[in-house]
Amino acid sequence: MSAQDQKSAVRAVVEVLARALTDRPGEVQVRESQHKGTTLIELFVGPGELGRVIGKQGRTAAALRTLAASAGEKEGKTVTLEIRDSPYKG
Amino acid sequence: MNDSTQPIVDFLARFVEALGIRTPVDVEDTPDGPRFDLSGEEAEILARHRGEPLKALQHVVDMAYGRSLDGDRRVFVDALGYRKGKDIELRQMAKFLAEKAKETGADQQLGPLNPYERRLVHMAVAEVPGATTESVGDAFSKIVLISSRK
Repeated sequence: MSAQDQKSAVRAVVEVLARALTDRPGEVQVRESQHKGTTLIELFVGPGELGRVIGKQGRTAAALRTLAASAGEKEGKTVTLEIRDSPYKG
Repeated sequence: MNDSTQPIVDFLARFVEALGIRTPVDVEDTPDGPRFDLSGEEAEILARHRGEPLKALQHVVDMAYGRSLDGDRRVFVDALGYRKGKDIELRQMAKFLAEKAKETGADQQLGPLNPYERRLVHMAVAEVPGATTESVGDAFSKIVLISSRK
């Protein structure tokens, strides 16, 4: 697991974008973990906010993945973004 | 700068900081809406992959802030003038094809283009007397037909 005190660019970027998109920015949480050389980013949004980060035909989700990949490119990471609707506890 | 552009300026500042790049965010107010350009060298990362990251950022800004502008005004997000340059190329190509359609009488095709790009083509060809445009195809990937006016 990554250090929680130091926020990576990938995690920070996903957080900034998701907070701008939802009506409940306070409920946005982003978790980052490493799996076999790829970085898994899990985005949690408040109840009923899933549509805001996925968008019509997944266009917003695709945009988030593209920008997460750019941030990863900068840090030499391969990024996978998963969007989840239950708030992250812990 | 006005009340509706300030939240976008703040958002772009947060985005740039999160990404970890240093760049000024230039703002230009135009009749079509505010244009933002991340003009620093490090913003080049957004112009890679044929500008896909910029299109993605444009989409997020549209979704999050597009409705805060009045009427037909639209936000435009760019880095190092990359999209502006592409737009100029597209307009030039549209006008070139309009002249060709007039000379040869044959319809010219351009695309597939997204709605923003199609609008640019329609407006560019409208400046060429004797040429018309029409979008054909479905939904998100229509092509534009450029023909001489009969």
